[in-house]
Amino acid sequence: MLKKIYKNKQAMVGLIMIFIVLFIAVFAPIIAINDPEEINPMNKFVKTSPHYPLGADQLGRCVFSRLVYGARYSLGISIPTLFILALISISIGTISAYLGGRFDDIFSIISDIFMAFPPLIVVLSLVGALGQGIRNIVAAVVFSMWVWFAKIVRSFVLMEKNKEYIIASKIAGCSDYKIIMSHIIPNILPSLIVCFSTGIAGLMLMISGFSFLGLGIEAGAAEWGSMLSSGRAYLYSHPSLIVYPGICILFTAAGFNLFGEALRDIISPKEV
Amino acid sequence: MLKVKKLYKQYIKKDRKGKKTIINAVDSVSFNLEENKSYSLVGESGSGKSTLARLITYIEKPTKGKIEINDEDLSKMSKKILRMKRADFQMVMQDGQSSLDPRIKIYDSIAEPLRNFKKLHKNEEKSRVEELMKKVELPLELLDRRPYELSGGQQKRVCIARAISVDPKFIVFDEAVSGLDVTVRKKVLDLLLKLRKELKSSYLFITHDIDVAMYMSNNISIMKSGRIVEEIQDVKSFNDFKHAYSKMLIKSLPPKKPCREFRRKDVNKQIL
Repeated sequence: MLKKIYKNKQAMVGLIMIFIVLFIAVFAPIIAINDPEEINPMNKFVKTSPHYPLGADQLGRCVFSRLVYGARYSLGISIPTLFILALISISIGTISAYLGGRFDDIFSIISDIFMAFPPLIVVLSLVGALGQGIRNIVAAVVFSMWVWFAKIVRSFVLMEKNKEYIIASKIAGCSDYKIIMSHIIPNILPSLIVCFSTGIAGLMLMISGFSFLGLGIEAGAAEWGSMLSSGRAYLYSHPSLIVYPGICILFTAAGFNLFGEALRDIISPKEV
Repeated sequence: MLKVKKLYKQYIKKDRKGKKTIINAVDSVSFNLEENKSYSLVGESGSGKSTLARLITYIEKPTKGKIEINDEDLSKMSKKILRMKRADFQMVMQDGQSSLDPRIKIYDSIAEPLRNFKKLHKNEEKSRVEELMKKVELPLELLDRRPYELSGGQQKRVCIARAISVDPKFIVFDEAVSGLDVTVRKKVLDLLLKLRKELKSSYLFITHDIDVAMYMSNNISIMKSGRIVEEIQDVKSFNDFKHAYSKMLIKSLPPKKPCREFRRKDVNKQIL
């Protein structure tokens, strides 16, 4: 599979884009020229200069440094969120599909209830109740999104569960736990990786969207979504303030989406 | 050794109006299988043969009726004991490829039942797997391959090796040779006959070919729409079958002589 990824242009482009963002996020303190939070009213709306590569914003903060640190926020929130989501949805989805019967019915009812509410409303009310903070936004996103992923996992497990080799391994004396861990999960893992890697772009956009609305991340933080939000006021005088974070969001989301969809083509070429 | 008493399996089917109808896949089937003997069960598609095979190996639970192995009722066993009991009754399924986990190497596939039932040392396990490969007449270099790299006959042999690895008292072959071409089929059947002499276990051979059934054993039962319509011990020739349905099955066998040749000559003449 790695060889195929290496040969697929779309996957490579996506992967390179992801690595660029990752690199920027990891080495943010070295790449950033200025302190992203340093307010300097003297330099308000400064134009591009060697000291301010992309100029400064309404409070005189270096836009370039803020964008660089913004990568940390975006990836640092969306990747852990994804891992928590994956863990919860894989375990619940697998157990529910594998056990079947009444357990599966109850799961279906619960998931239908959860799916009836749009994620935005759930997150709005949860953040409203829990208050601001990165931990709360992660919890809120996980709480609102886990059902969607768990349903996908469930359908994959249902497909795999009825294949003959599962029956054969049952006859060969495998316990249920062993069947799940050493037969079902390894066999659905490629499809799950695809599903989660396309999901990460959605999560990132969602979190940026919430911070644009002022939910979760405190105002004024160097996050792309909240930069967009504060730049909005200067749309006509200084459009660059919202263009730069917009491009960053686009770039990262496109990277993950390109990679995820290329992965999907590699793994299931027949279904496309 | 294996006693089946008044076994029923019912499925509930809903038609378009939501009306429920009960379908008897297996309808009041009783039989006894003795040790170290071989039995055949013949029936057309949809007659409930495969369901019966799954019931006997307790992959599916019967609606009514009793299955006893050595006077122990399977339905009264706990899950764990039943799992360990599976070492006594193994099954070889119809499709060789789909009854092997595609991600697992042949070595691990064959070693799986050994690992579950017999806790062997690594070296013992290796020598046992190699011994099994010799028994089913497969070259040892296949051990590192994956199922899709093997031919249909080889896959079948791997499945057989899996089933005989734990020295079962009784093996069910569910359409074990259908889907193989004639020469491979003959070889697999001969292998099974040879193995039975070595293993001294009972066979229940489920097939839709009455001549395959005759080749494998002389205790033949004929099944039609869930019921056993005829049960003959010590069959010597096709003339021993009395039931109208069995006679029809024999009649439907493909003729041994070509009968189209004459006509083709005629056609050739016309063309000339």
